Amino acid sequence: MRVRSGGFLLLVAALALVHAFADAQTRPIPRTPDGKPDLSGIWQAFGTANDNLLSHSASTDGPAGFGVVEGDEIPYRPEALARKQENFANRATRDTEAHCYLPGVPRITYMPFPFQIVQMPDVTTILYEYVHAIRYIYTNGTPHPRGPIEWWMGDSRGRWEGDTLVVDVVHFTPNTWFDRTGNYHSEALHVVERYTPMGADHIRYEATIEDPKVFTRPWTIRMLLYRRTEPNFQLLDFDCYAFEWEKYYPYPGL
Amino acid sequence: MPHTVNAVGVGVALLALAASPAAQERARRSDDQPDVQGSWRPIIAGTHSLDPAKSGAADFAERIGGPVSNNPSRIVDPPDGHIPYQPWAAALRKNLEANYENPTRPEHLDTQTRCFVSGSPRLYYFPTFRILQPPGQVIFVFEEYHAFRVVPLDGRPHIGADIKLWMGDGRGRWEGNTLVIETTNLKAKARLDVVGDFFTDNARIVERFIFVDAKTLTYEATITDEKVFTRPWTLRVAHRRMPDEEFWEWACTEGERDAAHSSSRITP
Repeated sequence: MRVRSGGFLLLVAALALVHAFADAQTRPIPRTPDGKPDLSGIWQAFGTANDNLLSHSASTDGPAGFGVVEGDEIPYRPEALARKQENFANRATRDTEAHCYLPGVPRITYMPFPFQIVQMPDVTTILYEYVHAIRYIYTNGTPHPRGPIEWWMGDSRGRWEGDTLVVDVVHFTPNTWFDRTGNYHSEALHVVERYTPMGADHIRYEATIEDPKVFTRPWTIRMLLYRRTEPNFQLLDFDCYAFEWEKYYPYPGL
Repeated sequence: MPHTVNAVGVGVALLALAASPAAQERARRSDDQPDVQGSWRPIIAGTHSLDPAKSGAADFAERIGGPVSNNPSRIVDPPDGHIPYQPWAAALRKNLEANYENPTRPEHLDTQTRCFVSGSPRLYYFPTFRILQPPGQVIFVFEEYHAFRVVPLDGRPHIGADIKLWMGDGRGRWEGNTLVIETTNLKAKARLDVVGDFFTDNARIVERFIFVDAKTLTYEATITDEKVFTRPWTLRVAHRRMPDEEFWEWACTEGERDAAHSSSRITP
């Protein structure tokens, strides 16, 4: 009897394990009541795109990494390439990441921090751990507000194409870079992001970048976003612009 | 057995009715939370001074010879309307009040001038905020400072005590139409107003968001910090529902000039 019940428990445990594994592999895409994919949850990109969008060797700047740009090439106009090289030489001070400024789109997506998507029918809100950035992606059919407007994170309007959330982003400042090597854009930047769920715990993320002042043609980056499935995982904070001054508050010594 | 379940159900319903008669028709979310999504704003907004409750404009008018014009105190406990500081803490605060207009030390500048995220309770007597209610969570988003706060309702434990957060670590539960949030893990680097009111990272906050009716919210926060105060104290702020307008970008540190200019007189 004892042996039998022990065997039974083992069987239950084994089945549970198999089930958990199968669950992770085949759990279907969560959906909202109207049938659209539900992207809600906490996600993170892994890799070295924030260090360098292109393939690169390990260096004092960081680990080696696969490029995320289609064709592994960014099509600069000849005069713009010189500026990129100048940026690289001055990257320690000129990258706005060094000042902890809002990093723009798509860079916020592949900063090495988690972010939480809160999907509602009319607006999808994205909360980012990095400098508590927020994006509101309106999916209620409203157009971009009339410019000129220069926002660090741009203005995002979304629509669904099948299972893909397509986000059109315009109205940027010329101040942000795409990575730490000085890949940059002008205020004419136009980004089209595509969020396509690949099962319950992965999103294929694509961003097509267009800026006729800097590039000869549109170019596309691609990466995976991974759901943070650890139990009780939650966003923390990274308010790096405050580090320098924190010691004086609420009063020195407290 | 079904009778027992029904009796309990009726009992809960009666309790809910008794607790909040005006809100009995409140729509509910898919996870059964009372639906309070939308934008809210303090009826008297202002973050210049808690004690006395005074706007920056009224303070300026008073300084140039105008009449004293204070608002009713937001502090409802203790009954005298004053923050119950220990003497050493009251002295720090008094010194700050004497210096904030002509800062000569880094700490004389208000934390909002430095773009610090204020957290509770300051963010509930200043800007408009929006409540989002995905299943199992209440999320507050603020246009100012692009602050946000995610409060789980699933009873999970607090994060490790050594993690301090600008917005603290809030855990929520609904009691009828009242949302109760208990917050720990406070970084407590942001002050409570321009004139220097404060608590430390030893503080805990219990907030009660009392949704009186579809358009009215009473916010209460009880702050406990044995390091700074002689007793817990409570402030109360009335809010009303606002039209749902788009929140646009409110970059702060990216265009910050006030602290930089003030700094010319400041010696660390």
